[in-house]
Amino acid sequence: MALFVKTGSLSPARALMWACSLAVVAIIVVPLAQMVVQPSWQDLRDCLRDRQVLGAIGLSLEAAAMAAAISLVCGTPFAYLLARKEFAGKKLAESIIDLPIMIPHPVIGIAILAVASPDHWLGKFMLEAGIEIMGSLTGIVAVLTFVGLPFYVNTVKNGFEAVDQRLENVARSLGASFGSAFVRVTLPLAWRSMLAGVIMCMARALSEFGAVVIVAYHPMIASVLIYERFTAYGLKYSQPVAVVLILISLLLFVMMRMVGKPRGKGP
Amino acid sequence: MIRIENLEVDLGSFSLRRIDLDIGRGEFFILLGPTGAGKTVLLEAVAGLLPVTGGRILADGQDITALPPEKRGIGIVYQDYALFPHLSVMENIRFGLRYTRMEKQKEASWVEGLVQRLGLDKLVHRQVSRLSGGEKQRTAVARALAVKPAVMLLDEPLSALDPNFRQDIRNLLKQIHTEFGMTILMVTHDFSEVLELGSRMAVLNNGLIEQSGTVDRVFSRPATEFVARFLGNAAPTETPGPHMPR
Repeated sequence: MALFVKTGSLSPARALMWACSLAVVAIIVVPLAQMVVQPSWQDLRDCLRDRQVLGAIGLSLEAAAMAAAISLVCGTPFAYLLARKEFAGKKLAESIIDLPIMIPHPVIGIAILAVASPDHWLGKFMLEAGIEIMGSLTGIVAVLTFVGLPFYVNTVKNGFEAVDQRLENVARSLGASFGSAFVRVTLPLAWRSMLAGVIMCMARALSEFGAVVIVAYHPMIASVLIYERFTAYGLKYSQPVAVVLILISLLLFVMMRMVGKPRGKGP
Repeated sequence: MIRIENLEVDLGSFSLRRIDLDIGRGEFFILLGPTGAGKTVLLEAVAGLLPVTGGRILADGQDITALPPEKRGIGIVYQDYALFPHLSVMENIRFGLRYTRMEKQKEASWVEGLVQRLGLDKLVHRQVSRLSGGEKQRTAVARALAVKPAVMLLDEPLSALDPNFRQDIRNLLKQIHTEFGMTILMVTHDFSEVLELGSRMAVLNNGLIEQSGTVDRVFSRPATEFVARFLGNAAPTETPGPHMPR
Protein backbone atom coordinates (compact mmCIF):
# COMPACT_ATOMS: atom_id res chain seq x y z
CA MET A 1 0.00 0.00 0.00
CA ALA A 2 2.90 2.28 0.87
CA LEU A 3 4.36 1.56 -2.55
CA PHE A 4 1.06 2.47 -4.16
CA VAL A 5 0.87 5.77 -2.29
CA LYS A 6 4.47 6.75 -2.96
CA THR A 7 4.84 5.85 -6.58
CA GLY A 8 1.22 6.00 -7.72
CA SER A 9 1.66 2.68 -9.53
CA LEU A 10 0.97 -0.93 -8.63
CA SER A 11 3.46 -3.76 -8.76
CA PRO A 12 2.22 -6.76 -10.83
CA ALA A 13 1.72 -8.83 -7.65
CA ARG A 14 -0.38 -6.14 -5.99
CA ALA A 15 -2.35 -5.59 -9.19
CA LEU A 16 -3.11 -9.33 -9.31
CA MET A 17 -4.18 -9.26 -5.63
CA TRP A 18 -6.59 -6.38 -6.25
CA ALA A 19 -7.91 -7.90 -9.47
CA CYS A 20 -8.61 -11.24 -7.79
CA SER A 21 -10.28 -9.51 -4.82
CA LEU A 22 -12.52 -7.48 -7.12
CA ALA A 23 -13.35 -10.60 -9.14
CA VAL A 24 -14.37 -12.47 -5.96
CA VAL A 25 -16.61 -9.63 -4.82
CA ALA A 26 -18.08 -9.32 -8.32
CA ILE A 27 -18.89 -13.04 -8.52
CA ILE A 28 -21.05 -12.66 -5.41
CA VAL A 29 -22.43 -9.17 -5.87
CA VAL A 30 -23.29 -8.98 -9.58
CA PRO A 31 -25.91 -11.80 -9.76
CA LEU A 32 -27.42 -10.81 -6.39
CA ALA A 33 -27.54 -7.13 -7.31
CA GLN A 34 -29.16 -8.01 -10.62
CA MET A 35 -31.71 -10.13 -8.80
CA VAL A 36 -32.49 -7.32 -6.35
CA VAL A 37 -32.79 -4.49 -8.88
CA GLN A 38 -34.57 -6.38 -11.65
CA PRO A 39 -38.07 -6.75 -10.12
CA SER A 40 -40.15 -3.58 -10.15
CA TRP A 41 -41.56 -2.04 -6.96
CA GLN A 42 -44.99 -3.23 -8.08
CA ASP A 43 -43.72 -6.83 -8.37
CA LEU A 44 -42.22 -6.65 -4.87
CA ARG A 45 -45.40 -5.14 -3.40
CA ASP A 46 -47.52 -7.84 -5.03
CA CYS A 47 -45.13 -10.45 -3.73
CA LEU A 48 -45.36 -9.12 -0.18
CA ARG A 49 -49.16 -9.36 -0.38
CA ASP A 50 -49.04 -12.91 -1.70
CA ARG A 51 -50.11 -15.24 1.13
CA GLN A 52 -48.32 -18.20 -0.43
CA VAL A 53 -45.02 -16.28 -0.50
CA LEU A 54 -45.37 -15.04 3.07
CA GLY A 55 -46.36 -18.51 4.23
CA ALA A 56 -43.37 -20.12 2.51
CA ILE A 57 -40.92 -17.56 3.91
CA GLY A 58 -42.45 -17.91 7.36
CA LEU A 59 -42.16 -21.68 7.15
CA SER A 60 -38.53 -21.38 6.02
CA LEU A 61 -37.71 -19.17 9.00
CA GLU A 62 -39.65 -21.38 11.41
CA ALA A 63 -38.01 -24.60 10.20
CA ALA A 64 -34.55 -23.00 10.16
CA ALA A 65 -35.05 -21.68 13.70
CA MET A 66 -36.16 -25.13 14.88
CA ALA A 67 -33.14 -26.75 13.26
CA ALA A 68 -30.88 -24.17 14.92
CA ALA A 69 -32.56 -24.80 18.29
CA ILE A 70 -32.03 -28.56 17.97
CA SER A 71 -28.41 -27.94 16.97
CA LEU A 72 -27.98 -25.65 19.97
CA VAL A 73 -29.36 -28.18 22.44
CA CYS A 74 -27.73 -31.32 21.04
CA GLY A 75 -24.69 -29.78 19.34
CA THR A 76 -23.39 -27.76 22.30
CA PRO A 77 -22.45 -30.75 24.51
CA PHE A 78 -20.94 -32.49 21.49
CA ALA A 79 -18.92 -29.41 20.53
CA TYR A 80 -17.69 -29.15 24.14
CA LEU A 81 -16.69 -32.82 24.11
CA LEU A 82 -14.73 -32.35 20.88
CA ALA A 83 -13.06 -29.18 22.21
CA ARG A 84 -12.06 -30.54 25.61
CA LYS A 85 -11.60 -34.31 25.49
CA GLU A 86 -9.26 -36.65 23.72
CA PHE A 87 -10.85 -40.00 22.99
CA ALA A 88 -10.47 -42.93 20.63
CA GLY A 89 -12.21 -42.20 17.35
CA LYS A 90 -12.22 -38.42 17.83
CA LYS A 91 -10.88 -37.78 14.32
CA LEU A 92 -13.56 -40.06 12.93
CA ALA A 93 -16.26 -38.23 14.91
CA GLU A 94 -14.98 -34.89 13.57
CA SER A 95 -15.00 -36.24 10.00
CA ILE A 96 -18.54 -37.60 10.43
CA ILE A 97 -19.72 -34.17 11.57
CA ASP A 98 -18.28 -32.68 8.37
CA LEU A 99 -19.94 -35.25 6.11
CA PRO A 100 -23.18 -33.28 5.49
CA ILE A 101 -21.08 -30.46 4.03
CA MET A 102 -19.57 -32.81 1.43
CA ILE A 103 -22.50 -35.04 0.48
CA PRO A 104 -24.65 -33.92 -2.51
CA HIS A 105 -27.84 -32.55 -1.02
CA PRO A 106 -30.33 -34.79 -2.84
CA VAL A 107 -28.40 -37.72 -1.35
CA ILE A 108 -29.14 -36.33 2.13
CA GLY A 109 -32.85 -36.26 1.28
CA ILE A 110 -32.75 -39.81 -0.06
CA ALA A 111 -30.83 -41.00 3.05
CA ILE A 112 -33.38 -39.44 5.41
CA LEU A 113 -36.27 -40.93 3.44
CA ALA A 114 -34.61 -44.35 3.57
CA VAL A 115 -34.37 -44.17 7.37
CA ALA A 116 -37.95 -42.91 7.64
CA SER A 117 -39.38 -45.71 5.48
CA PRO A 118 -41.50 -48.39 7.19
CA ASP A 119 -38.85 -50.97 6.17
CA HIS A 120 -36.35 -49.41 8.60
CA TRP A 121 -36.74 -50.00 12.35
CA LEU A 122 -36.52 -46.27 13.01
CA GLY A 123 -39.11 -45.53 10.31
CA LYS A 124 -41.35 -48.22 11.77
CA PHE A 125 -40.95 -46.71 15.25
CA MET A 126 -41.73 -43.21 13.97
CA LEU A 127 -44.78 -44.49 12.09
CA GLU A 128 -46.09 -46.11 15.27
CA ALA A 129 -45.37 -42.90 17.20
CA GLY A 130 -47.29 -40.92 14.58
CA ILE A 131 -44.19 -39.02 13.39
CA GLU A 132 -44.42 -38.26 9.69
CA ILE A 133 -41.26 -37.33 7.78
CA MET A 134 -42.35 -37.36 4.14
CA GLY A 135 -44.13 -34.14 3.21
CA SER A 136 -44.15 -32.68 6.71
CA LEU A 137 -42.59 -29.89 8.75
CA THR A 138 -40.88 -32.60 10.83
CA GLY A 139 -39.19 -33.89 7.67
CA ILE A 140 -38.08 -30.39 6.70
CA VAL A 141 -36.65 -29.75 10.18
CA ALA A 142 -34.86 -33.13 10.10
CA VAL A 143 -33.23 -32.23 6.79
CA LEU A 144 -32.29 -28.70 7.88
CA THR A 145 -30.82 -29.98 11.15
CA PHE A 146 -28.78 -32.52 9.18
CA VAL A 147 -27.30 -29.86 6.91
CA GLY A 148 -26.95 -27.17 9.60
CA LEU A 149 -25.38 -29.18 12.44
CA PRO A 150 -21.80 -29.20 11.07
CA PHE A 151 -21.80 -25.41 10.90
CA TYR A 152 -23.05 -25.10 14.48
CA VAL A 153 -20.80 -27.77 15.97
CA ASN A 154 -17.61 -26.57 14.25
CA THR A 155 -18.21 -22.91 15.12
CA VAL A 156 -18.99 -23.63 18.76
CA LYS A 157 -16.13 -26.12 19.09
CA ASN A 158 -13.73 -23.35 18.01
CA GLY A 159 -15.39 -21.05 20.55
CA PHE A 160 -14.89 -23.54 23.40
CA GLU A 161 -11.29 -24.15 22.35
CA ALA A 162 -10.66 -20.42 22.65
CA VAL A 163 -11.67 -20.53 26.34
CA ASP A 164 -8.64 -21.51 28.42
CA GLN A 165 -9.40 -24.76 30.18
CA ARG A 166 -7.48 -23.55 33.22
CA LEU A 167 -10.26 -21.03 33.85
CA GLU A 168 -12.61 -23.98 34.30
CA ASN A 169 -9.97 -25.73 36.43
CA VAL A 170 -9.72 -22.72 38.75
CA ALA A 171 -13.52 -22.51 38.98
CA ARG A 172 -13.64 -26.19 39.99
CA SER A 173 -10.90 -25.68 42.59
CA LEU A 174 -12.97 -22.81 44.04
CA GLY A 175 -15.88 -25.16 44.62
CA ALA A 176 -17.87 -24.99 41.37
CA SER A 177 -19.26 -28.24 40.01
CA PHE A 178 -18.67 -29.09 36.35
CA GLY A 179 -22.06 -27.62 35.40
CA SER A 180 -21.61 -24.52 37.52
CA ALA A 181 -18.15 -23.88 36.04
CA PHE A 182 -19.63 -24.23 32.56
CA VAL A 183 -22.48 -21.81 33.27
CA ARG A 184 -20.43 -19.21 35.15
CA VAL A 185 -17.17 -19.31 33.20
CA THR A 186 -17.36 -21.10 29.85
CA LEU A 187 -20.77 -19.90 28.75
CA PRO A 188 -20.19 -16.16 29.34
CA LEU A 189 -16.95 -16.45 27.36
CA ALA A 190 -18.27 -18.65 24.55
CA TRP A 191 -21.86 -17.46 24.04
CA ARG A 192 -20.91 -15.27 21.09
CA SER A 193 -19.53 -18.33 19.32
CA MET A 194 -22.79 -20.12 20.10
CA LEU A 195 -24.77 -17.23 18.62
CA ALA A 196 -22.49 -17.24 15.58
CA GLY A 197 -23.12 -21.00 15.32
CA VAL A 198 -26.87 -20.44 15.44
CA ILE A 199 -26.57 -17.80 12.70
CA MET A 200 -24.46 -20.11 10.54
CA CYS A 201 -26.83 -23.00 11.10
CA MET A 202 -29.91 -20.90 10.29
CA ALA A 203 -28.24 -19.39 7.25
CA ARG A 204 -27.39 -22.82 5.94
CA ALA A 205 -30.88 -24.09 6.69
CA LEU A 206 -32.56 -21.15 4.94
CA SER A 207 -30.57 -21.78 1.79
CA GLU A 208 -31.26 -25.51 1.62
CA PHE A 209 -33.19 -26.78 -1.38
CA GLY A 210 -31.84 -30.07 -2.78
CA ALA A 211 -32.56 -32.26 0.23
CA VAL A 212 -35.85 -30.58 1.20
CA VAL A 213 -37.36 -30.96 -2.27
CA ILE A 214 -36.96 -34.74 -1.98
CA VAL A 215 -38.28 -35.10 1.56
CA ALA A 216 -41.01 -32.45 1.57
CA TYR A 217 -42.04 -30.59 -1.58
CA HIS A 218 -45.07 -29.61 0.46
CA PRO A 219 -45.49 -27.79 2.81
CA MET A 220 -43.51 -25.43 0.63
CA ILE A 221 -40.55 -23.54 2.05
CA ALA A 222 -39.25 -20.43 0.29
CA SER A 223 -36.47 -22.12 -1.71
CA VAL A 224 -38.90 -24.71 -3.08
CA LEU A 225 -41.46 -22.00 -3.90
CA ILE A 226 -38.80 -20.01 -5.78
CA TYR A 227 -37.91 -23.14 -7.74
CA GLU A 228 -41.56 -23.89 -8.48
CA ARG A 229 -42.30 -20.37 -9.70
CA PHE A 230 -39.18 -20.42 -11.85
CA THR A 231 -40.09 -23.72 -13.54
CA ALA A 232 -43.79 -22.89 -13.88
CA TYR A 233 -43.75 -19.16 -14.70
CA GLY A 234 -40.14 -18.18 -15.39
CA LEU A 235 -37.57 -15.78 -14.01
CA LYS A 236 -39.90 -12.79 -13.62
CA TYR A 237 -42.13 -14.55 -11.09
CA SER A 238 -39.41 -16.24 -9.07
CA GLN A 239 -37.18 -13.19 -8.58
CA PRO A 240 -39.44 -11.12 -6.29
CA VAL A 241 -39.82 -14.06 -3.90
CA ALA A 242 -36.05 -14.50 -3.86
CA VAL A 243 -35.52 -10.79 -3.19
CA VAL A 244 -37.95 -10.81 -0.27
CA LEU A 245 -36.24 -13.92 1.17
CA ILE A 246 -32.81 -12.32 0.81
CA LEU A 247 -33.92 -9.06 2.45
CA ILE A 248 -35.67 -10.77 5.37
CA SER A 249 -32.69 -13.07 5.93
CA LEU A 250 -30.30 -10.13 5.76
CA LEU A 251 -32.35 -8.19 8.30
CA LEU A 252 -32.53 -11.17 10.64
CA PHE A 253 -28.81 -11.85 10.52
CA VAL A 254 -27.83 -8.21 10.95
CA MET A 255 -30.03 -8.08 14.06
CA MET A 256 -28.50 -11.26 15.48
CA ARG A 257 -24.98 -10.02 14.81
CA MET A 258 -25.76 -6.75 16.55
CA VAL A 259 -26.91 -8.67 19.62
CA GLY A 260 -23.70 -10.69 19.56
CA LYS A 261 -21.40 -7.72 19.07
CA PRO A 262 -19.05 -7.20 22.05
CA ARG A 263 -19.53 -3.94 23.92
CA GLY A 264 -16.32 -1.93 24.19
CA LYS A 265 -13.04 -3.72 24.46
CA GLY A 266 -13.04 -7.44 25.01
CA PRO A 267 -11.06 -9.09 27.76
CA MET B 1 -1.65 -33.23 55.55
CA ILE B 2 -1.19 -34.33 51.94
CA ARG B 3 0.21 -37.75 51.28
CA ILE B 4 0.82 -38.95 47.75
CA GLU B 5 1.34 -42.69 47.43
CA ASN B 6 2.71 -44.35 44.33
CA LEU B 7 0.81 -41.92 42.10
CA GLU B 8 0.63 -42.62 38.37
CA VAL B 9 -0.79 -40.28 35.74
CA ASP B 10 -0.79 -41.32 32.10
CA LEU B 11 -1.42 -38.61 29.53
CA GLY B 12 -0.35 -40.67 26.54
CA SER B 13 2.67 -38.66 25.46
CA PHE B 14 3.76 -38.08 29.06
CA SER B 15 3.34 -39.88 32.35
CA LEU B 16 4.04 -39.41 36.03
CA ARG B 17 5.37 -42.58 37.64
CA ARG B 18 5.60 -43.81 41.22
CA ILE B 19 5.24 -40.42 42.87
CA ASP B 20 5.55 -40.55 46.66
CA LEU B 21 5.38 -37.34 48.67
CA ASP B 22 4.44 -36.43 52.21
CA ILE B 23 3.62 -32.77 52.86
CA GLY B 24 3.00 -31.76 56.46
CA ARG B 25 0.34 -29.39 57.72
CA GLY B 26 1.40 -25.77 57.35
CA GLU B 27 4.45 -26.72 55.32
CA PHE B 28 5.79 -24.67 52.39
CA PHE B 29 6.80 -27.46 50.04
CA ILE B 30 8.63 -26.74 46.81
CA LEU B 31 8.49 -28.82 43.66
CA LEU B 32 11.56 -28.12 41.57
CA GLY B 33 12.42 -29.43 38.14
CA PRO B 34 13.22 -28.53 34.56
CA THR B 35 10.58 -27.59 32.00
CA GLY B 36 8.54 -30.62 30.98
CA ALA B 37 9.37 -32.57 34.15
CA GLY B 38 5.66 -32.92 35.01
CA LYS B 39 5.39 -30.36 37.81
CA THR B 40 2.11 -28.84 36.60
CA VAL B 41 0.73 -32.29 35.82
CA LEU B 42 1.42 -33.32 39.43
CA LEU B 43 -0.27 -30.19 40.78
CA GLU B 44 -3.34 -30.74 38.57
CA ALA B 45 -3.52 -34.39 39.61
CA VAL B 46 -3.43 -33.36 43.30
CA ALA B 47 -6.17 -30.79 42.61
CA GLY B 48 -8.27 -33.48 40.91
CA LEU B 49 -8.11 -31.81 37.52
CA LEU B 50 -6.41 -34.75 35.79
CA PRO B 51 -7.40 -38.41 35.98
CA VAL B 52 -5.09 -40.59 38.05
CA THR B 53 -4.23 -44.01 36.64
CA GLY B 54 -2.73 -45.47 39.82
CA GLY B 55 -1.85 -44.77 43.43
CA ARG B 56 -3.60 -42.63 46.05
CA ILE B 57 -3.81 -39.06 47.30
CA LEU B 58 -4.65 -38.64 50.97
CA ALA B 59 -5.62 -35.44 52.76
CA ASP B 60 -5.58 -35.68 56.55
CA GLY B 61 -5.61 -39.45 56.18
CA GLN B 62 -8.73 -39.43 53.98
CA ASP B 63 -8.44 -40.86 50.47
CA ILE B 64 -9.41 -38.03 48.08
CA THR B 65 -8.19 -39.70 44.87
CA ALA B 66 -11.71 -40.16 43.53
CA LEU B 67 -13.14 -36.88 44.82
CA PRO B 68 -14.04 -34.20 42.25
CA PRO B 69 -11.93 -31.00 42.43
CA GLU B 70 -14.70 -28.98 44.09
CA LYS B 71 -14.83 -31.37 47.06
CA ARG B 72 -11.10 -31.38 47.82
CA GLY B 73 -10.61 -27.99 49.41
CA ILE B 74 -7.45 -27.48 47.37
CA GLY B 75 -6.93 -24.13 45.67
CA ILE B 76 -4.75 -23.61 42.62
CA VAL B 77 -3.01 -20.47 41.33
CA TYR B 78 -1.56 -20.64 37.85
CA GLN B 79 1.54 -19.00 36.46
CA ASP B 80 -0.45 -16.67 34.20
CA TYR B 81 -3.13 -16.09 36.87
CA ALA B 82 -6.10 -17.56 34.94
CA LEU B 83 -8.36 -14.74 36.12
CA PHE B 84 -11.91 -14.79 34.77
CA PRO B 85 -11.72 -12.11 32.06
CA HIS B 86 -15.43 -11.35 32.07
CA LEU B 87 -15.46 -10.46 35.77
CA SER B 88 -14.09 -7.57 37.82
CA VAL B 89 -11.44 -7.96 40.51
CA MET B 90 -14.07 -8.24 43.26
CA GLU B 91 -16.21 -10.67 41.24
CA ASN B 92 -13.12 -12.82 40.73
CA ILE B 93 -12.34 -12.79 44.45
CA ARG B 94 -15.94 -13.58 45.42
CA PHE B 95 -16.37 -16.28 42.75
CA GLY B 96 -16.03 -19.26 45.07
CA LEU B 97 -17.84 -17.82 48.09
CA ARG B 98 -21.26 -19.05 46.98
CA TYR B 99 -20.00 -22.61 47.42
CA THR B 100 -18.86 -22.03 51.00
CA ARG B 101 -21.17 -21.99 53.99
CA MET B 102 -19.88 -18.73 55.36
CA GLU B 103 -22.39 -16.36 56.96
CA LYS B 104 -23.06 -13.27 54.87
CA GLN B 105 -21.71 -10.84 57.49
CA LYS B 106 -18.60 -12.87 58.15
CA GLU B 107 -18.15 -13.30 54.42
CA ALA B 108 -18.25 -9.53 53.83
CA SER B 109 -15.73 -8.73 56.57
CA TRP B 110 -13.48 -11.62 55.50
CA VAL B 111 -13.40 -10.42 51.89
CA GLU B 112 -12.87 -6.82 52.93
CA GLY B 113 -9.96 -7.82 55.14
CA LEU B 114 -8.49 -9.98 52.40
CA VAL B 115 -8.77 -7.22 49.82
CA GLN B 116 -7.04 -4.76 52.13
CA ARG B 117 -4.42 -7.30 53.17
CA LEU B 118 -3.48 -7.87 49.55
CA GLY B 119 -3.59 -4.18 48.63
CA LEU B 120 -6.47 -4.55 46.21
CA ASP B 121 -8.92 -2.17 47.87
CA LYS B 122 -8.59 0.50 45.18
CA LEU B 123 -8.92 -2.00 42.34
CA VAL B 124 -12.01 -3.99 43.27
CA HIS B 125 -14.22 -2.62 40.50
CA ARG B 126 -11.55 -2.77 37.82
CA GLN B 127 -11.74 -5.27 34.95
CA VAL B 128 -8.89 -7.75 35.23
CA SER B 129 -7.62 -6.96 31.73
CA ARG B 130 -6.61 -3.53 33.05
CA LEU B 131 -4.42 -4.82 35.89
CA SER B 132 -0.63 -5.02 35.98
CA GLY B 133 1.08 -8.41 36.36
CA GLY B 134 1.56 -7.98 40.11
CA GLU B 135 -2.04 -6.86 40.60
CA LYS B 136 -3.27 -9.85 38.61
CA GLN B 137 -1.21 -12.21 40.73
CA ARG B 138 -2.47 -10.65 43.97
CA THR B 139 -6.05 -10.99 42.68
CA ALA B 140 -5.45 -14.64 41.82
CA VAL B 141 -4.01 -15.30 45.29
CA ALA B 142 -6.92 -13.43 46.95
CA ARG B 143 -9.41 -15.43 44.91
CA ALA B 144 -7.82 -18.70 45.99
CA LEU B 145 -7.58 -17.60 49.65
CA ALA B 146 -11.18 -16.34 49.75
CA VAL B 147 -12.61 -19.86 50.01
CA LYS B 148 -10.10 -20.76 52.77
CA PRO B 149 -8.61 -23.83 51.12
CA ALA B 150 -6.75 -26.30 53.31
CA VAL B 151 -3.99 -26.54 50.73
CA MET B 152 -2.84 -24.08 48.11
CA LEU B 153 -1.09 -25.17 44.93
CA LEU B 154 1.01 -22.49 43.26
CA ASP B 155 2.19 -23.13 39.72
CA GLU B 156 5.22 -20.92 39.16
CA PRO B 157 3.39 -17.92 40.60
CA LEU B 158 6.32 -15.54 40.17
CA SER B 159 7.78 -16.49 36.81
CA ALA B 160 5.47 -14.34 34.67
CA LEU B 161 6.07 -11.27 36.82
CA ASP B 162 8.24 -8.28 36.20
CA PRO B 163 11.30 -8.42 38.55
CA ASN B 164 9.92 -5.31 40.32
CA PHE B 165 6.80 -7.21 41.39
CA ARG B 166 8.53 -10.52 42.05
CA GLN B 167 9.96 -9.71 45.46
CA ASP B 168 6.68 -8.04 46.42
CA ILE B 169 4.65 -11.20 45.69
CA ARG B 170 7.35 -13.40 47.24
CA ASN B 171 7.02 -11.44 50.50
CA LEU B 172 3.26 -11.70 50.24
CA LEU B 173 3.42 -15.49 49.88
CA LYS B 174 5.70 -15.72 52.93
CA GLN B 175 3.30 -13.61 54.97
CA ILE B 176 0.24 -15.55 53.82
CA HIS B 177 1.93 -18.79 54.70
CA THR B 178 2.77 -17.55 58.19
CA GLU B 179 -0.48 -15.71 58.89
CA PHE B 180 -2.92 -18.28 57.56
CA GLY B 181 -0.84 -21.31 58.53
CA MET B 182 -1.60 -22.67 55.11
CA THR B 183 -0.10 -25.77 53.53
CA ILE B 184 1.48 -24.69 50.27
CA LEU B 185 2.84 -26.78 47.42
CA MET B 186 4.66 -24.51 44.98
CA VAL B 187 6.18 -25.32 41.63
CA THR B 188 9.20 -23.36 40.54
CA HIS B 189 12.44 -23.64 38.66
CA ASP B 190 13.98 -20.64 40.38
CA PHE B 191 16.53 -21.62 43.05
CA SER B 192 16.25 -18.33 44.91
CA GLU B 193 12.53 -18.98 45.45
CA VAL B 194 13.33 -22.45 46.77
CA LEU B 195 15.88 -21.09 49.20
CA GLU B 196 13.76 -18.19 50.39
CA LEU B 197 10.37 -19.85 50.67
CA GLY B 198 10.72 -23.60 50.97
CA SER B 199 11.17 -25.76 54.05
CA ARG B 200 11.18 -29.06 52.17
CA MET B 201 11.37 -29.82 48.49
CA ALA B 202 11.30 -32.49 45.82
CA VAL B 203 13.13 -32.56 42.51
CA LEU B 204 11.06 -33.90 39.63
CA ASN B 205 12.52 -35.05 36.35
CA ASN B 206 10.79 -36.68 33.40
CA GLY B 207 7.79 -37.74 35.48
CA LEU B 208 9.80 -39.19 38.38
CA ILE B 209 10.77 -37.83 41.79
CA GLU B 210 14.55 -37.85 41.79
CA GLN B 211 14.90 -36.72 45.40
CA SER B 212 12.87 -35.20 48.21
CA GLY B 213 13.78 -33.84 51.62
CA THR B 214 14.68 -30.60 53.37
CA VAL B 215 15.98 -27.85 51.15
CA ASP B 216 19.37 -27.95 52.93
CA ARG B 217 19.63 -31.68 52.51
CA VAL B 218 18.73 -31.78 48.82
CA PHE B 219 21.08 -28.92 47.97
CA SER B 220 23.98 -30.23 50.07
CA ARG B 221 23.59 -33.94 49.33
CA PRO B 222 22.07 -34.57 45.92
CA ALA B 223 20.95 -38.19 45.72
CA THR B 224 21.25 -38.68 41.98
CA GLU B 225 23.49 -37.50 39.21
CA PHE B 226 20.61 -35.56 37.68
CA VAL B 227 19.93 -33.67 40.93
CA ALA B 228 23.62 -32.88 41.33
CA ARG B 229 23.87 -31.63 37.78
CA PHE B 230 20.58 -29.77 37.90
CA LEU B 231 21.36 -27.98 41.16
CA GLY B 232 25.00 -27.47 40.44
CA ASN B 233 24.82 -25.97 37.01
CA ALA B 234 22.51 -23.13 37.88
CA ALA B 235 23.76 -20.68 40.43
CA PRO B 236 21.32 -19.10 42.89
CA THR B 237 20.14 -15.71 41.67
CA GLU B 238 20.40 -14.12 45.10
CA THR B 239 22.86 -13.83 47.95
CA PRO B 240 22.98 -17.17 49.76
CA GLY B 241 20.49 -17.27 52.61
CA PRO B 242 20.63 -19.38 55.77
CA HIS B 243 19.50 -22.45 53.80
CA MET B 244 22.17 -22.08 51.19
CA PRO B 245 24.55 -25.03 51.00
CA ARG B 246 28.14 -24.10 51.70
